[in-house]
Amino acid sequence: MKFGGTSVATLPRWQNIRELVASRRAEGARVLVVVSALTGITDALKQLCAQEDKGKRIEAAKAIAQRHYELLDHMQLAVPDTLAARLSELAKLADEGPALLGELAWSALVQAHGELMSSALGSAFLSHSGLPTQWVDARDCLAAIALPNQNERTKLLSAMVEAKPDPALNARLAAQGEVFITQGFIARESQGRTVLLGRGGSDTSASYFGALLKAQRVEIWTDVAGMFTANPRQVPSARLLQRLDYEEAQEIASTGAKVLHPRCLSPLREPRVPLLIKDTNRPELEGTLIGPEVREHAPSVKAISARKGITLVSMESVGIWQQVGFLADVFAQFKQHGLSVDMIGSAETNVTVSLDPTENLLDSDALAALASDLAKVCRVKVIAPCAAITLVGRGMRSMLHTLSGVLAEFGQLRVHMISQSSNNLNLTFVVDENVVDELLPHLHELLITAGALRTDDSALFGPSWQALYGTGEVLPPAASGWREERRADLLKLGAEATPRYVYHLPTVRQQARELKSLAAVDRLHYAVKANTHPAILKALAEEGFGFECVSPGELKAVMAVVPESAPLLFTPNFAPKEDYAWALGTRATLSLDSLYQLEQWGELFRGKEVVLRLDLGRGLGHHEKVRTGGSGSKFGLPVEQLDAFLRLADTHGVTVRGLHAHLGSGILDDGHWGEVYSQLASLAERIGSVTFLDIGGGLGVPSHPGEARLDIAALDKVLREVKAAYPHYKLWMEPGRYLVADAGVLLTRVTQTKGKGNGQIRYLGVDTGMNSLIRPALYEAWHEIVNLTRLDEPATALFQVVGPICESGDVLGTDRRLPEPQEGDVVLVAQAGAYGKVMSSPYNLRDEAEEIILD
Amino acid sequence: MTTHIQPRLTQVFRFVRCSYADGVAELVYGFDHGEELVERVRFPNAPAIPAGHQAAFEQALKLLHLIAGVSYYKAGVPPRIEVVDGPLDATTADLLDALYLHGLAEFAYRNGLDLRGRIAFPRSSSPSPLRGDGRGEGPISPKLNLPARTLVPIGGGKDSLVAVEAIKSISGEATAVWVGNSPLIAACAERTGLPMLNIQRELAPGLFELNRLGAWNGHIPVTAVNSAILAVAAILYGYDSIAFANERSASAATLEYEGQQVNHQWSKGYTFEQLLGDWLHEHVAADLNYCSLLRPYSELAVTRAFARLTPYFDVFSSCNRNFKLLGPKPADRWCGQCPKCHFVFLALAPFLAKPRLLSIFGRNLLDDENLAPGFDALLEYQDHKPFECVGEGAAARAAMYALSQRSEWQEDTLVARFRSEILPQLDVNELALEPWLLPSGEQRIPKRLQPALAFFA
Repeated sequence: MKFGGTSVATLPRWQNIRELVASRRAEGARVLVVVSALTGITDALKQLCAQEDKGKRIEAAKAIAQRHYELLDHMQLAVPDTLAARLSELAKLADEGPALLGELAWSALVQAHGELMSSALGSAFLSHSGLPTQWVDARDCLAAIALPNQNERTKLLSAMVEAKPDPALNARLAAQGEVFITQGFIARESQGRTVLLGRGGSDTSASYFGALLKAQRVEIWTDVAGMFTANPRQVPSARLLQRLDYEEAQEIASTGAKVLHPRCLSPLREPRVPLLIKDTNRPELEGTLIGPEVREHAPSVKAISARKGITLVSMESVGIWQQVGFLADVFAQFKQHGLSVDMIGSAETNVTVSLDPTENLLDSDALAALASDLAKVCRVKVIAPCAAITLVGRGMRSMLHTLSGVLAEFGQLRVHMISQSSNNLNLTFVVDENVVDELLPHLHELLITAGALRTDDSALFGPSWQALYGTGEVLPPAASGWREERRADLLKLGAEATPRYVYHLPTVRQQARELKSLAAVDRLHYAVKANTHPAILKALAEEGFGFECVSPGELKAVMAVVPESAPLLFTPNFAPKEDYAWALGTRATLSLDSLYQLEQWGELFRGKEVVLRLDLGRGLGHHEKVRTGGSGSKFGLPVEQLDAFLRLADTHGVTVRGLHAHLGSGILDDGHWGEVYSQLASLAERIGSVTFLDIGGGLGVPSHPGEARLDIAALDKVLREVKAAYPHYKLWMEPGRYLVADAGVLLTRVTQTKGKGNGQIRYLGVDTGMNSLIRPALYEAWHEIVNLTRLDEPATALFQVVGPICESGDVLGTDRRLPEPQEGDVVLVAQAGAYGKVMSSPYNLRDEAEEIILD
Repeated sequence: MTTHIQPRLTQVFRFVRCSYADGVAELVYGFDHGEELVERVRFPNAPAIPAGHQAAFEQALKLLHLIAGVSYYKAGVPPRIEVVDGPLDATTADLLDALYLHGLAEFAYRNGLDLRGRIAFPRSSSPSPLRGDGRGEGPISPKLNLPARTLVPIGGGKDSLVAVEAIKSISGEATAVWVGNSPLIAACAERTGLPMLNIQRELAPGLFELNRLGAWNGHIPVTAVNSAILAVAAILYGYDSIAFANERSASAATLEYEGQQVNHQWSKGYTFEQLLGDWLHEHVAADLNYCSLLRPYSELAVTRAFARLTPYFDVFSSCNRNFKLLGPKPADRWCGQCPKCHFVFLALAPFLAKPRLLSIFGRNLLDDENLAPGFDALLEYQDHKPFECVGEGAAARAAMYALSQRSEWQEDTLVARFRSEILPQLDVNELALEPWLLPSGEQRIPKRLQPALAFFA
């Protein structure tokens, strides 16, 4: 059992260790505890080593001693002899200085005292509290080996140990007792000098001991429950990995996870000793068990990680790569400048290598010198800052077919290098660093959606980090809860006639009220294109919403049902001149989005106040077709034409009263709107007449079960912050789908079934399809599909749920696990409240779906 | 506003009155007979005005009133300026005429206005009540024995941080001061480890209303306003010096327009520094020194000094776009699109290891072909200099030339483009970096702070 610096720094933490050790004893195990130095002591010892003044060294040693006295005091223990001996030795070393032993050997011995002292102290505490504990000098057990590449520094300060099972040591310890404590981080070399194990040293010590003793298990106790499918700081929904094999774990540790140093796994592999990572504060959590076994389960991506600060050196030359020894010379340059190469990608005329961020790379001239040497033999290009995004999982190649959606995401980026290791464990993409923070959570989500990261296998994947450690309160349940409550009504409606859309007004109101809780937002407009049913318009008008319309038809439909006082926005796109002329006669606020409108029809708008819709130059959203920003999209005035627009506006006496941007739909990242607002605000500051900023809608609605909802409280916080920075603008939003998607369902009935390919592929036909709900065909949108008639029966088979339209794209859902259906069963397609009925068509001249309101 | 005033048709801009009580200065302005515009400047934990400093304080406050008025005057740019409590003495009127004319030159250019002959502060025909009509002949205000400590305004960019470190290098006593509530500046100020003073300026709400009604809008000489606020603060809290961080290129005009020099950062220039410094000696206190510590140096020399200050790399930003927001990512501090981002990137590049520089910005601006027009403008290639606080085009060319000679840079898109397209049109002899690193003699740094200049060596 290994405990780190913070775990041994206070009395309560030692009491915790005592309990954990006692619980292992109770299971009948003999326990060896490996400890680090008290927090801060190793740094203090390093500073002592760097101190040239003898007096100050002695002072430093005294301060270090004092830390240990204080802890003993808390423990109400006298200074044990073992610790007293260490302290006086440290005082002696401080007094002597490095002259006698040599700088490095002296320094190693001084630093080793951190662990020597903490273990002596721990031995006293555990023994005194009823667990007789033997103190073991790690240096008597761990023998450092000499390696060919070592210099004196690495030999003494980052040594390696060859840890083969040693039955003699086992027997020796067995004769002494049941509980032992020893030091992490230190060993002894062949001349008898004390050496250090370098970075990750204490975990590595624990592994060495595990291998030497062929332990039942090595336990690393730390401040988190184990390894996750992604860095939880970047992806809060990352899941705990409960089982990994050594190679996978080592790959994850090497490519990003900080919880374990990759070094500490290799000693355990041969003796097949499992390693368990546990959370000291939450011992009840299962943790991550790393072992030899590859269990029987489908291949799955285990983790996605990103390493930032990567620098690529691309070397281009025609035809000389084949020259014998050329590459050797090139790599010799890297060695000479002290830069170590990580990944390598090569083509006939180009070799590109990656360098990890090191002090040498960041703050010396090493790279400049390397580049100028390389430039003598080839064209050099230094590409940075990059990030390596790595997917880790055993059998990566067999998963490639599931990754198409993930790979498509990379298609939009500058990918500088792709590397797949021959051990079939990883797939790495090197991309520009600035895309990573947004990309990673997105890819993690995509991996789950694509079935590449099989989070449905509860043997492998534990709870999400958010669920285990997340701060904010648990998010409220999704807005689809009404389907349970009104199941009987829905069944009855479905049995009467299908296809039918059913809308639940209380859910619309509930969503509306949730958005009204955004205190920073001054005005909300419902984007009526999502659903123009009069009852919904009326309900939202009662909630105080304004309405955003994109056509005269929508404006008329809205004006027919909402009161005069409800604000209206008219936001057409590539509409004919008559639309604008007509809308100017209504009370709607008009939105312009191109130079053409002022260049050609400028006088039409004279004396009017307008909103200017801008394209901020990038788009977001869940599908290419719903992104509405970026030059690939037809919406908005490009920012670079803003000045020209303002000049035209001045010429025609048009006042720009508001700025508007809308980047896309289905956005679940709360930070996004803050960015849009601040970008709009910085543009608005150049335009005195602007009084409001409209940051659009696009509030995402999660579709997959368990997918994180948009965090309204977090969004509120973001908006308050940006609002505080620009208090003089009113903030407007235009949500659509968020208000109505979950409030509506499409009811349809089973018509017939079919099997193909020896029954491997089963089709379940229903009485409507893309004619009623085109989103799956158009956007590959995922809608939950439920057999309402058989809700309580086990879902046993996989079905392709298809409609009756003569198009092979008429599929409502693929690979859905559902109960065995019967003709006439009522099937519910969820989240059909938005862009359902409004996008339906008479294609194939099938009857259109009726709309029913539940209140 | 009760009456529907049309800002651009106003006739008179009036300096109505100013007052101070309990740490709050109230500056009151008005157009024609419209509603009063009241600006408030809040000095936190303000002590009582020290005995014997009352007259100096009043002078400084009056100057602040006159200078801060520029934010409001520009809304209408009426033909007449009126100071309610009487005309100004000649030096004061000269200072303000110059500030309003040159400080608003870019504003005028952008709006197609010509302010020449339009700005005339009322001046008394009788000799100045303080001293004849003389100017610049040395101080006539008494010494106040102000404490030997310095107010260093922090801007969030590299320049003020270099000034801070230069003063720290001579163990000078200093306070990091800033006006407004930028979290980015607060983070930078905190990183300096100096005592901090955060003064708040609240613009009159009526100004936003005027903007809504179609007021003129544009750049104002904000450094002058901040300077005047700090002069008040120096007397109030007791400081003998205000050390700005304006480098020498700030004095250069960015463009000439119908015979008028337009300098985007005129109030950061040496002319204004001299005018205000002399005015403070004459009207406020003989021992209150106003200067820029970086005045002898070029942007490149300042940048080189900054390149040694690693601890600031993850907090500072000179970007003008993302200024009001703060986040941990480089993209939160550097938009990468504005001339400031381009210049600071280019100016730091010769002095920092490439991976370090790229880690500050989070991306490589010189390897993005979309940014070619921006860098061209910096180099004054096919364009005039952009309207931002950046160094001379020649300095940018020197920095770019230095990069073009370095293997780790020369294949980057814009550096390669410079080598093939722009460099052949330039005289290599004029592209050396070294001359930019030498100080010039133009400066008015007080004796006490002179040793700090060794920091740039």
